[in-house]
Amino acid sequence: MEDIFHWCREGNAIQVRLWLDDTEHDMNQGDDHGFSPLHWCAKEGHTKLVEMLLQRGARVNATNMGDDIPLHLAAAHGHLDIVLMLLRHRSDVNTTNEHGNSPLHYACFWGYQAIAEELVNHGALVSVANKDGDTPLDKAKALLAKRVHDLAVESGQELKKISFKDQSWLGLKTRSRDATLSRYKGINIRDLELHTKIAISPSGETWRGRWQKNDIIAKILNIRDCNARVSRDFNEEFPKLRIFSHPNILPVIGACNNAPQNLVVISQYMPRGSLHELLHSAAGVIVDTAQAVRFALDIARGMSFLHSLERIIPEYLLNTYHVMIDDDLTARINMGDAKFSFQEYGRLYQPAWMSPEALQRKRSDRNWEACDMWSFAICIWELATREVPFADLSPMECGMRIATEGLRVQIPPGTSPYLTKLINICMNEDPGKRPTFDMIIPILDKMKR
Amino acid sequence: MASRPKSPGPNSARSDKEESFWDKIGTLGRKKRIKEVQEVQAEGRYAIDSPGNPNNPEIPPEDYALRDNEQRAIIQPQSLADPLVKELQQVLIDWINDELANQRIIVKNIEEDLYDGQVLHKLWENLTGRKLDVLEVTQSEEGQREKLSIVLNAVNHVLGFHHKIPKWSVESVHSKNMVAILHLLVALVRHFRAPIRLPENVFVTIVIAQKNGQILSAQKYQEQITSQYDDVGMRCERDAFDTLFDCAPEKLAVVKKSLVTFVNKHLNKLNIEVANLSTDFKDGVYLCLLMGLLGGFFVPLYDFHLTPRDADQMVHNVAFSFELMQDVGLPQPKARPEDIVNMDLKSTLRVLYNLFTKYRNLS
Repeated sequence: MEDIFHWCREGNAIQVRLWLDDTEHDMNQGDDHGFSPLHWCAKEGHTKLVEMLLQRGARVNATNMGDDIPLHLAAAHGHLDIVLMLLRHRSDVNTTNEHGNSPLHYACFWGYQAIAEELVNHGALVSVANKDGDTPLDKAKALLAKRVHDLAVESGQELKKISFKDQSWLGLKTRSRDATLSRYKGINIRDLELHTKIAISPSGETWRGRWQKNDIIAKILNIRDCNARVSRDFNEEFPKLRIFSHPNILPVIGACNNAPQNLVVISQYMPRGSLHELLHSAAGVIVDTAQAVRFALDIARGMSFLHSLERIIPEYLLNTYHVMIDDDLTARINMGDAKFSFQEYGRLYQPAWMSPEALQRKRSDRNWEACDMWSFAICIWELATREVPFADLSPMECGMRIATEGLRVQIPPGTSPYLTKLINICMNEDPGKRPTFDMIIPILDKMKR
Repeated sequence: MASRPKSPGPNSARSDKEESFWDKIGTLGRKKRIKEVQEVQAEGRYAIDSPGNPNNPEIPPEDYALRDNEQRAIIQPQSLADPLVKELQQVLIDWINDELANQRIIVKNIEEDLYDGQVLHKLWENLTGRKLDVLEVTQSEEGQREKLSIVLNAVNHVLGFHHKIPKWSVESVHSKNMVAILHLLVALVRHFRAPIRLPENVFVTIVIAQKNGQILSAQKYQEQITSQYDDVGMRCERDAFDTLFDCAPEKLAVVKKSLVTFVNKHLNKLNIEVANLSTDFKDGVYLCLLMGLLGGFFVPLYDFHLTPRDADQMVHNVAFSFELMQDVGLPQPKARPEDIVNMDLKSTLRVLYNLFTKYRNLS
């Protein structure tokens, strides 16, 4: 069959690259057995493809139906360079699959000494037992077992047997995504099981529901006159929000167009909610400077990708309400919050994040990339101070004062000097002097280390 | 947005440039022939376009002659130069042109373009939405009179002249009597509540010449064309505001006061203070800002004119604020954007009262 999984198996770099370049393709989807493209490339030993996938943000710890992560497969098939690459991308070295085997179990069983050594050097436990009570050492032949044992002692591991604990019920694993998620764009509203209304906002009602056994969010747009023209524009615009190809962008999965009754936008359910909720309500996640920088980097990567597409409609306004947090604390630009051309005409609900020129001039009459950079600065300010910008002002007051009276956020003393500097660079009063997201990413990358 | 078709302004009427183009392209010999052709064409066009003019430029002297005790009324030419009268004429011409924009009719002069009943016929059809069974085009003077009489009959019927005698007649309109035509148009504007504001208390001076024996005496008097109107707003179902205006003027002050307090409570946040309800909202700016304050959003400054320069921009602002009102779930305002711009107090009160009922408890 000619599909991405087939190309990954046979190592067809050209086809894989072409497939990845289409924004509607989700590289984290799995096949019928939950094997993602990264699983296949790691198994078959296509080092270049593994590198390409990792660079584009493929999930390194996604599991297949047998709870294997790509590291299991690379270790079992003796691809040392891929094992090293996966470890560099923080693959979890002690993940166990449905049999309770860790990657080290496989390396030992198949007698790949170099791989076993590297795994132990990266903290793989030699004494963890699988479902049958065997440790990696039990699986290895005498000579290899001796070597691995010595290494473990050297690095100070406890050699007491750790018995098998079934933790699969915890649901901590991240399965590769159901491939069907990105397959359909037009969805019948009767196929959605909407069960809980989460919020009512000026843009519409938000419901939780299920579709094709996936948890989804459905936003029923609030449109006063849902006429034929609106319906046509909707059909033209929503496919542009189906951006599956970047890890820091949360795509719109599909939409129902039931004009003239309603228009519904469907995206994946993110239990952690938006960055705004995470920062300003008791979410139980500690956002220290390091985490703040990670979020900022995620946002910058997503925005940089968005800018590379050069799409103006639908308009995405960057602020912390419009950034969702995935279960692994990845920040993702939520395309479901983008504004359709026919939506909320003449109304801006979050002007606090917008640059003065964005409040005064049409999108066509200003540098909109630079405006996004200003919004990014306000997001960093918010991450650094944990405060809502201009929380005491209503949108109309705050917008008027930003646009006409020079109202700006104040950076409190004691804020990290790096972040302070970054904020000041990004919200330069002269839009032409603000950096692009491509320029910001290396800076944030350095700060992360 | 209320997209009433607007007539193109006088600037857009361009003269034909074809001649100069042909001048350039032809050789000398052909040029001459082309000139001839053009002359013939121009003559033909004149023959078609020139109206069946009843008033020959050379008026025979006997027309001036008055018989004994005969009277004749003439507008004093100076009073036509009065700025108010000029404004009135311009407002009426603009209105007719806006109404008839999609019929491709452009009126330039009230006397010269209305006397034959052609424009009045179209205007009546447009305003009432009915059809009148008359000839579309008439050339002869007799035909014109006949058509005018049918049109004026219909007009008088709509305006409700069954017992009273109107201030215009077939004779006066057809003889291009300015006073009669103005009265007729003002009556139409008032009856159909045209979305325009007429200059108030316009007078023209009339001279009446009378012959007593050998003596020609002249009398002057002032004829009133427009008076003061407090209801230029859209005609709609009678509501509490009509009752308020008609029956309880003392309560009106209370309503106005509470509305001023309400709008100022919110506009003060932007350091704006409203003093006069009917004039301060006419440019629509405060309405847009007020919608943002009440609805909890920022109105982008590029979607309306923060400092409107002309009536069109004001109408745009008010219409835009009406859109915002409907977007936040308010009923369609019982007023036209033009009514607010024309400072119709009742319409302004209706719109503000709508906001008041929904947002009175908003702090």
